[in-house]
Amino acid sequence: MRFDVDTYREIADSLVRNKSRSLLTGFGVFWGIFMLLFLMGGGQGLRQLISANFQGFATNTCILIPDRTTMPWKGMKQGRRWHMTYTDVERMKMMVPELETVTPMVSNWGQEAVLGPNTISGNIKGVYADYQNIEEPQLRYGRYINESDVLHGRKVCVIGKRIYTSLFPQGGDPCGTMIKVGPVYYQVVGVDFNSGNMNINGSADEAIVIPLPIAQKVYQRGNDIDLLCATARKGFKSSQLEDRMRAIMAREHQFDPSDRNAMFVINTEQIFAIVDNLFTGLNFLIWLVGLGTILAGVIGVSNIMMVTVKERTTEIGIRRAIGATPRDILGQIIMESISLTLVAGSFGIVFAVLLLELLKKIVSMATAGASVQADPEFQISFWTAVAAAVLLSLLGVVAGLAPASRAMSIKPVDAMRDE
Amino acid sequence: MLIELKDVNKTYNNGQPLHVLKGINLGIDSGEFVSIMGASGSGKSTLLNILGILDNYDTGEYHIDGRLIKNLSEKQAAAYRNKMIGFIFQSFNLIGFKTAVENVELPLFYQGVNRRKRHELAMQYLDRLGLAGWAGHYPNEMSGGQKQRVAIARALITNPKIILADEPTGALDSKTSEEVMQLLGELNRQDKVTIIVVTHESGVANCTDKIVHIKDGVIGRIEDNREHHSSMFGTQTIMK
Ligand SMILES: Nc1ncnc2c1ncn2[C@@H]1O[C@H](COP(=O)(O)OP(=O)(O)OP(=O)(O)O)[C@@H](O)[C@H]1O
Ligand SMILES: [Mg+2]
Repeated sequence: MRFDVDTYREIADSLVRNKSRSLLTGFGVFWGIFMLLFLMGGGQGLRQLISANFQGFATNTCILIPDRTTMPWKGMKQGRRWHMTYTDVERMKMMVPELETVTPMVSNWGQEAVLGPNTISGNIKGVYADYQNIEEPQLRYGRYINESDVLHGRKVCVIGKRIYTSLFPQGGDPCGTMIKVGPVYYQVVGVDFNSGNMNINGSADEAIVIPLPIAQKVYQRGNDIDLLCATARKGFKSSQLEDRMRAIMAREHQFDPSDRNAMFVINTEQIFAIVDNLFTGLNFLIWLVGLGTILAGVIGVSNIMMVTVKERTTEIGIRRAIGATPRDILGQIIMESISLTLVAGSFGIVFAVLLLELLKKIVSMATAGASVQADPEFQISFWTAVAAAVLLSLLGVVAGLAPASRAMSIKPVDAMRDE
Repeated sequence: MLIELKDVNKTYNNGQPLHVLKGINLGIDSGEFVSIMGASGSGKSTLLNILGILDNYDTGEYHIDGRLIKNLSEKQAAAYRNKMIGFIFQSFNLIGFKTAVENVELPLFYQGVNRRKRHELAMQYLDRLGLAGWAGHYPNEMSGGQKQRVAIARALITNPKIILADEPTGALDSKTSEEVMQLLGELNRQDKVTIIVVTHESGVANCTDKIVHIKDGVIGRIEDNREHHSSMFGTQTIMK
């Protein structure tokens, strides 16, 4: 194969000579690569957008919430209420050593937070220091509730983003300020900007986090807790421990262990798994559709090259008669096939990049006001684009193979016998 | 001997086997101007295609310049066709979407000659054939005679030892036919190119120095025609 300017000019000429045919054939490849890249970028962005909802939340957590029993048990009627107590926390820690963190929560919704003229309704969450293992705070200012706050019964709080912006519209570090929540004054020690949508007992945005013993005292809850969060140690799945925890609770609080409704269990691991599976499936679909479309386009190219070769039998015969080797002919056909695929595909890549950029703009505009701070990346990476171009060249070669071998088999005598 | 055929046989085997060349023995010296005549279907084109290595023969031997032409690889055959042999066809066989000069350049492209050089040479040859002004025209904008002259330029550009022409005047009127034959004669005399012309026009044959008659697949009479008296009409012009 000889390469010079004329080689390329000839390729360009033969593609331009059949303008509408090249255009239609190229469109198949264009659309295929566009679909693949656009779907890839879209899927990636969507995944990031959804993952942002789980931001900062431990992925291996069980949340146990007491509910009414739905089955009679040992002479007790169904529909009975039962309460979790702090003793359950200690019991779980002792009886299920596979658990890493076991931490309770006491909450109270709809508490008025007041500072000077500013008021906002928020949710009290009474927790221990190790609650941050469950819902990781993103502290803008100050610190989280610590062990000594709990030990000394300090009236301190960590406030969520919305509480902060409402009570401190002028901004700045609020730590040390006293705010009134419900009947009690608390000193602000931290501001949590966590914006994930996966929260226990209300959004972190509107939470006022205080030490749990204070919450129990203020709201006269005695030793009761609202719910219990437990994370499994590395190597264990929280879903595997669920049944054991259920059994322990059932024995202690006297309900039927098979009564699934007596205790409501949220398993984040399962939720994450569902989302993960969803995206694995989605990705598979994207590849299937994308590659399928490209393949259809490439088969179109192969087909049209076949027609071209047939039409140009005489021309190829003439070339062979004046000294072209079969390799020259092979090179010419393959190069044409690559060029068609690559040029059409490049437009597809560019179009996908442009459209993804637009999508990114639209999504970031739409989510600008939302509480979830996600900046999903819809755009494909540079190397993805390069890989796509390489893939296109390869597919171009593949598409050219059959027509080229046909062209190579053309003998000069056969070609020039004019019928 | 530049060209030597010894008992060359060729049978076409599509469907009914057809024994076309039945033992051809022929020698042509360098610098000869030969025509091959014969009835339609007698195997003239078949013979010429074998001479031009466009087609294979079954048995016998064919030597060019003492080298046996048999079982060549496609690459070797392409190289021979490119460097040793120039072709001229009845239907011109120019490439329609290339201009005259691009058509003439093409053999040099396959030799790997660089772009400027081959353009220069192609223009030179077109000029020599009186077609300098037509270099940028496409074949469908030219007359038959002009097209055939472009084809001749293309055959000449690699400076081949042998030019093979299969009814080069078959599609031309008598006046242009004569011009083409004169041109070939000049090439033969001035450049000492060996020229073999297949024709069934006696006037055309009369322009050549030697007339080989082929009949039923074998060589018949070989006429010495250096006096150019073979055709009763051929002395002045080619009759159509
Ligand atoms: N590829 C082929 N397959 C089968 N038969 C063929 C083939 N090419 C030529 N023939 C047959 O071989 C015989 C000789 O053909 P050829 O073309 O050599 O004749 P020719 O002398 O050139 O005739 P014309 O003067 O009409 O051009 C004819 O009968 C033709 O039908
Ligand atoms: Mg013939």
